[in-house]
Amino acid sequence: MTTDALVPSLAAVRPRLRRKAGAGKGFNNAAGHLVMVLLSIFCLFPVYWMVVTSLRPANAIFEESLWPTTVSLDNYAYALSAIPILRMLGNTLLIAAVVTVIQLGTGLLAAYAFARWRFRFDKLVYSAVALTWLVPFQVVMIPNYLLVARMGLLDSIIALILPNFASALAILLLAQTMRSFPKEVIEAARMDGARSWRILWEIMTPNLRGTLASLAILIFISTWNEYFWPLLLSRTPENSVIQIGIQMFMTSEGNQWGPLMAASTMASLPILIIYVVLQRQVIQSFMKSGIR
Amino acid sequence: MAETALPVHRSVSPELRVFKRRISPWLYLAPAIITLAVWIYWPLVDALRLSFYQWNMLPNAPQTFVGWENYTKIFALPKFWQALRNTGIYVVGLLPLAVLIPLAIAIYTHDLPARSRNIYRAIIFVPMIIAPVVAAAVWRWLLDPSYGVVNSPIEWLGFSPIKFLSDPKVAIWTIIVITGWKLVGFSTLILSAANANINPTLIEAARMDGASKWEVIRDIRLPLLSSSILFLVMMTILLGAQWSFSYINVLTGGGPLGSTSNIYYLLWDFGFSSMSVGWSSASAIILFIGFGAVAFGLFRLIDRYSFHDN
Repeated sequence: MTTDALVPSLAAVRPRLRRKAGAGKGFNNAAGHLVMVLLSIFCLFPVYWMVVTSLRPANAIFEESLWPTTVSLDNYAYALSAIPILRMLGNTLLIAAVVTVIQLGTGLLAAYAFARWRFRFDKLVYSAVALTWLVPFQVVMIPNYLLVARMGLLDSIIALILPNFASALAILLLAQTMRSFPKEVIEAARMDGARSWRILWEIMTPNLRGTLASLAILIFISTWNEYFWPLLLSRTPENSVIQIGIQMFMTSEGNQWGPLMAASTMASLPILIIYVVLQRQVIQSFMKSGIR
Repeated sequence: MAETALPVHRSVSPELRVFKRRISPWLYLAPAIITLAVWIYWPLVDALRLSFYQWNMLPNAPQTFVGWENYTKIFALPKFWQALRNTGIYVVGLLPLAVLIPLAIAIYTHDLPARSRNIYRAIIFVPMIIAPVVAAAVWRWLLDPSYGVVNSPIEWLGFSPIKFLSDPKVAIWTIIVITGWKLVGFSTLILSAANANINPTLIEAARMDGASKWEVIRDIRLPLLSSSILFLVMMTILLGAQWSFSYINVLTGGGPLGSTSNIYYLLWDFGFSSMSVGWSSASAIILFIGFGAVAFGLFRLIDRYSFHDN
């Protein structure tokens, strides 16, 4: 009622308001840009410096020119020969890809159970899944380590994958999306005699592409960056991931800065490429599901 | 197709159908439930059991029941209280970088043209996707006392180089800033998105009523942003100290003199450096109960404040 009266009057004054706001805008905008440029430098400079340092020849590592005066790949060659980096990158890629696929799979199955049926203890199980989010990894690390040791899987790639077979994040996010799926479509499919298995894979899953893609991005990046669990288990470089490899260039006797930066660059490159290609989707998927 | 499918469906006995209906959700849940039970819930119970034993993790060594001894010894340990205090410092120290500065930036820069805003967004988000170990390695290089690029202007101005990672007074703040570096862009984007969702007519109406810029922020923007702010504060309180673990482990090892160690690092240190399963498990249980209590309190708080949304 009152708002109805307000809207036309607002529209009438809008041009005037615009102009008034426009007067101070030049200065405001310049200051706003300055703030954002400073923040951007703070955020990006370390990454830039990593790449630049990795490209300097060994005798110019300590130079502080903003870009390398002579470019050399010596640091990369050294890093590649010092530890089996390619093997480690391959392991990391394998683990991240497998974990992503499996987590999406178990997530779809479990989310479907929650979205499709009412069953005894359903609320309890759902909260039990959600509550795993509240258990810090450090709390369960010793029993997990002992379990892996008992299974004889220390220093193996399988052990790095096993505990990540399911995640609360995937289950909850998919269950939320599935609940908003129109019930009529499922009913219609059921009438046609479709089994629940077929309904999940042929009707639900294709409609979840958006959520699945953003989950996949999130799971892949966080598995790629995972450090703590491999740190506990890895013994030999051949069965380890790239994050552990980076650490090998930091020793208590001193740091091999050039190779360290080269290894760091190689470890970040796949993620940075994904980011450059899918920038919008990456940002969205992180923002949709928070951080962990 | 339906005609052939239906009769088959009907011919199944009713008991079997009820049974199938009962069992099928559990079949779908099985892979996820088994994983979470084996790798999270069972270990939690096992940690509780181990917290009453003394054991050095060697398979042949005996596990001796010691009752509450692990707990009483931990509570008597100055190292534990130092780590607990540091955990608090991490959380409080992160709040400006993870919430306050992003909030100010989000409000201050919301009039920027869409194109440049998108470029800034893309840039400030980069730290979020960089691996913690890479971040630690790069910052170690940037902050190196002899060759680091951060110390060279400080030396050029005639000051002695700052030992960012080996001065006990400075080191914890260095770790906080590095943790904050990872988060500042993410938080800014969350708050900018919430800020952009505020209906502009509300702001215009307030301006017409003669509200000053600050009054608009205080009376309209901040209340409407409160749920996003609360979300970020909660994330920082619950997870802030956890995020810093990789940096502590790679950069300082909890030192110098335990000044950067927090409760998460202490667990790791007890378990895998001193090989004392009992101590580590006891502090894990203490941490879990404390963490759960804080989380419960925060969720209650959010429940009470979330009606601001509507």
